[in-house]
Amino acid sequence: MALRPVVVTGLGIICAAGRDPAEFWSRLVAGQGALTPIEDEAFAVFTARHAGQVPDAWIDGQLPPEDTGHDRTAKLALVAARQAIEQAGLPLGGPDQDESGTSPAGGGPGQDRSGTGPPSDGPGQDRSGTGPAGGGPAPGRFGIILGKCQATPDAAGRYQPMHRTADVVATRLGLLGPRVLVSTACAAGGNAVGLAKDKILTGEADAVLAGGVDPLLFGTYAGFAGLQALSTGPCRPYSRSDGLNLGEGAAFLLLEPLDLALARGATPLAEVAGYGLSADAYHATAPDPTGRGGAGAVRRALADAGLTTSDVHYVSGHGTGTPANDAMEAKVMRLVFGERAGQVPTSSIKSFVGHTLGAAGAVEAVASVLALRHATAPPTIGFDGGAAGAADLDFVPDRARPMPIDTVVSNNYAFGGNNVSLVLTAPRGPRPYAELPERTAVITGLGPVTGVGAGIAEVAEALATGRRAPGRPPSLDGRTYAPRSLWRHMNHLSRMAIAASRLAWEDAGLKLPRKALDDVGLVFATGAGSAESTGGFDESIAANPNKPAVLSFSNVVLNATGGAVCQTLGLRGPTTTICNGGASASIALDCALEMIRAGKAEVVLVVAADEASGPPTPDGSAPPAPDGSAPPAPDGSAPPAPDGSAPPSPDGDGGAEPVKGSAAVAFVVESAEHCAERGGTPYAKVGATRHAAGDGPGPLADSLALLAGRPPELVIGTSPGLPPGGEEAAAVLAAAPDAPLTGTAALTGDCQAATGALNVALAALAVRDGIAPGLPDLPGPASRALALTAAPGSVRGAVLLEAI
Amino acid sequence: MPSVLATTHPTDTVYGEVGDATVPLRFASTGEEYGVLRERAALLDLGGHRLIEITGPAAVDFAQRLLARDVEYLTSDRCMMSLVLDDDGQVVDQVVAFGREDGLLLESSCGAGDRLLEHLRAHQEDGVEITDRSGDLTAIGLEGPYAWGVVGRLIDAELASLPFESVAEATWDGVDIVFARTGLTGEYGYQVIVPIEAAATLWARALEHATPAGLEALELAMLEVRQPIPRHEATPGATVIEIGANWLVDVTKDEFVGKDAVVEAFEAGGGRRTIGFTGCAGIPTPGTRVQAGGQDVGEIVHAVHSVGLGATLGLARVDPDLAAAGLDLTVAGQTVTTLTSPYIVPKSWSIPII
Repeated sequence: MALRPVVVTGLGIICAAGRDPAEFWSRLVAGQGALTPIEDEAFAVFTARHAGQVPDAWIDGQLPPEDTGHDRTAKLALVAARQAIEQAGLPLGGPDQDESGTSPAGGGPGQDRSGTGPPSDGPGQDRSGTGPAGGGPAPGRFGIILGKCQATPDAAGRYQPMHRTADVVATRLGLLGPRVLVSTACAAGGNAVGLAKDKILTGEADAVLAGGVDPLLFGTYAGFAGLQALSTGPCRPYSRSDGLNLGEGAAFLLLEPLDLALARGATPLAEVAGYGLSADAYHATAPDPTGRGGAGAVRRALADAGLTTSDVHYVSGHGTGTPANDAMEAKVMRLVFGERAGQVPTSSIKSFVGHTLGAAGAVEAVASVLALRHATAPPTIGFDGGAAGAADLDFVPDRARPMPIDTVVSNNYAFGGNNVSLVLTAPRGPRPYAELPERTAVITGLGPVTGVGAGIAEVAEALATGRRAPGRPPSLDGRTYAPRSLWRHMNHLSRMAIAASRLAWEDAGLKLPRKALDDVGLVFATGAGSAESTGGFDESIAANPNKPAVLSFSNVVLNATGGAVCQTLGLRGPTTTICNGGASASIALDCALEMIRAGKAEVVLVVAADEASGPPTPDGSAPPAPDGSAPPAPDGSAPPAPDGSAPPSPDGDGGAEPVKGSAAVAFVVESAEHCAERGGTPYAKVGATRHAAGDGPGPLADSLALLAGRPPELVIGTSPGLPPGGEEAAAVLAAAPDAPLTGTAALTGDCQAATGALNVALAALAVRDGIAPGLPDLPGPASRALALTAAPGSVRGAVLLEAI
Repeated sequence: MPSVLATTHPTDTVYGEVGDATVPLRFASTGEEYGVLRERAALLDLGGHRLIEITGPAAVDFAQRLLARDVEYLTSDRCMMSLVLDDDGQVVDQVVAFGREDGLLLESSCGAGDRLLEHLRAHQEDGVEITDRSGDLTAIGLEGPYAWGVVGRLIDAELASLPFESVAEATWDGVDIVFARTGLTGEYGYQVIVPIEAAATLWARALEHATPAGLEALELAMLEVRQPIPRHEATPGATVIEIGANWLVDVTKDEFVGKDAVVEAFEAGGGRRTIGFTGCAGIPTPGTRVQAGGQDVGEIVHAVHSVGLGATLGLARVDPDLAAAGLDLTVAGQTVTTLTSPYIVPKSWSIPII
């Protein structure tokens, strides 16, 4: 039986071709492009000047005065988000709900991922909750999944945390459900829609705002110019293919389960029938010329939807207008549709709005829903029939085409070799459905690459001897992890991540044939991506915008490192990149569990990596801790370990600000069946995970609700240092008074996403081998260990691991 | 050793002894076959290339030690060209290494299989099995600006646009084949490793779309793009640097057989360098002296008549200062001009795969 139908009930969009869905669609149907020369004199240094720009008045004219002070990225997102919620007929919430909602102290009821863990009657499973106006989802069950490619500079020119835009939208609109920032570059918008469907299928949310946003940024423009990827006029996808135009905008789709939408009287606009992700495992920026990566995503999406190629009426193409993309897409069409390729119209609305990067997938998903609603395929404008790259295909040249459309496939292909394909269908009536099956997942391989060692053996030795090195960068000397021809082109973050992945893979004892690697998933988690590449690129732009460091540019996208891991290990399964700060790794684990539960992968590698932005000290040791938090002793011996037998104390070292560090940590997540069939030895099974969004202490306490009254034998938290005042210790003390609380930040420094992954990895180690940081007196393997992750002020995560 | 396809080829095929192999030098005329290779698609009997499988738990470590390039992480969807050196840094052979699930498959250069096999076995160690697969496998090549179209019609269009040095396992006519994008001539180039019993059928089916070319046309086209041909260029005593095959060696590897000698040659400097030339009438034989300003500066390595240039094309090994393009040298009393490679621009460089 098919799974629960998920529908779109609201659309929101702002881009060069329109300030709302109606205006956008009327321009698409009329064939009126919106690519114009950039007036800003700063861009006069570039030969190519056309872009898809949003007039300022369109933005501020649609926002309440209190929202107009935000940055452009957040404002674009808020405009589109408000439209989608309004069309869905849901009340526009607001920050006031933090006080009046169902959640304690500002946090929403968390989202419990109860595997085989606690009973599913926690607050996150409360389906009776309704929104303040009745009929809609409770704030804690209303999530946001945002795709974004570019980091957003703040007023001082420094980059905000990637997830800040999602936090702003969620806070302004009162969304306290699942909160995920997905950054698979130009595939992010479509990817977000797929992940949103997953959050509904797992039961974590009753409604999710899914979409993408990116503004036009000078640096990005310079980077594409440096790659010689920009067209000097309006782009002409699928014909001249002489380059792309950048664009800006935001788009959201409001997703909810069909049954709940109908129950509250909403009008389903389309069904999100399925989605597929894949990795090229080929190159940092160029698409795999065979088209097999793109074809893999389409095939997975159709399989997910339970449809075949003969069901597809129209394909919304990626259609950037670059020669490499357009040639590859033609191959995807022929590979997927075979002899029918020429009978399936495919068009590129980038010919109207340019390439809106992280928003593109969502912009095109909105157009696809409108194409279904209006039974019209939007055209590819500026089409030059005489220069058509693939005369055998139907690119809907220049004129919109009325035609019956029940099924649309919308494709996006990104830097890093990340591909996404969405299948959207005309909505159907209510019907019986099956729940997403429960499948036990186990952790079978650990690959920490930290200042205290590379590989779980070295790290376990450090734990046993009390050796610490907060802030010390990992050493990758002593062995190789990748072909030298690849390695020498990798930045440090990718090298760490590849090393961690290789070590986890080897630790898991996985020996899979090439064919099986095509289905191995990879979820990359990072707070900020490569500081080295971002800094190098920004410096080059500052020096001369016409001489950007193009190699660094290709590594500025946050998914670049995930793509490098796929390329090095040859993984072509579903892949995505999560950027929720220190909570990224546990959210990435959720994605891995979703892939396994949905049968999309049996093996998923979760890799988290972040690096301290400052250079390491000349001797390679950590900069001194500003607050006296456990620096390594001069003789290398450990400072006194906390008494492992003591319960957590709110007066502990939680107030310390930890040293920043660099690390990558990978772990292999595998279905229990797959592990058993191959005779693998798991560390632990994933009992449950839980995330809670929002500010204040509520989300932390709420995330601990996954314990369901059964305390673990130890907790690996995010202390010392976060949050100030030992809130974590207090919350753990309240939820699990007898469980010792330890952490990994004292071991390695705060390594953002990698610290979250290290917590999960060391919880797994504690379950199998009875070793944990700072707890020399553990009586033996723990039957239950809890790992915490934190993006303070945004999302708190908890992962409960259990003995097999 | 004769080609397994010898009984398939026309009776007037001209064969030649190349090392340990008897291979078709030409099927009709070298000029015509060259034209096919540069203009359309040429079918190549690569039966003179020995296929040697390295398996066992220590297979990768062994290959990493015996091959001069980095093959530690050579996955089963990749192949790469590498030199195999002896302890003195002399070229034993130039191989294509295919990553396999259970080790590697090495393809020797034409006629060098016995020497390669002997060298590998001399270094064999526990945990390594070395198997000559030439009894059951052979290689067939396709080269030319439209070879991709032949691949699409003959095997699978998806495989035609495989990136360079990519490998795919496929099924053709019910038999398992290893398909690789290799390319030796600057044109689109592919190889199919096929069981011997299916080779004649594949060859016959391929002839419906492509024209056979012999070793003479292939080696000429290789020379024109400076693809090294070890049997002509790896002269006794010449270092890797003198041969100009540095790119087939990775000195950043911790160790490999011959590394010390290569590093020593790098550090010592000196020696000669190899440079292309054209200009003289006739074909100078290898070893012919080369002069500059009346001084002896080196010797001819290898020369042929280039159909693409319509002139003599050769390689000379000369003093390093003279290994630059655009210089006049004297060969057997005639003036020749040194060239930068490639010496012709392959048509494939301006033809996309569609």
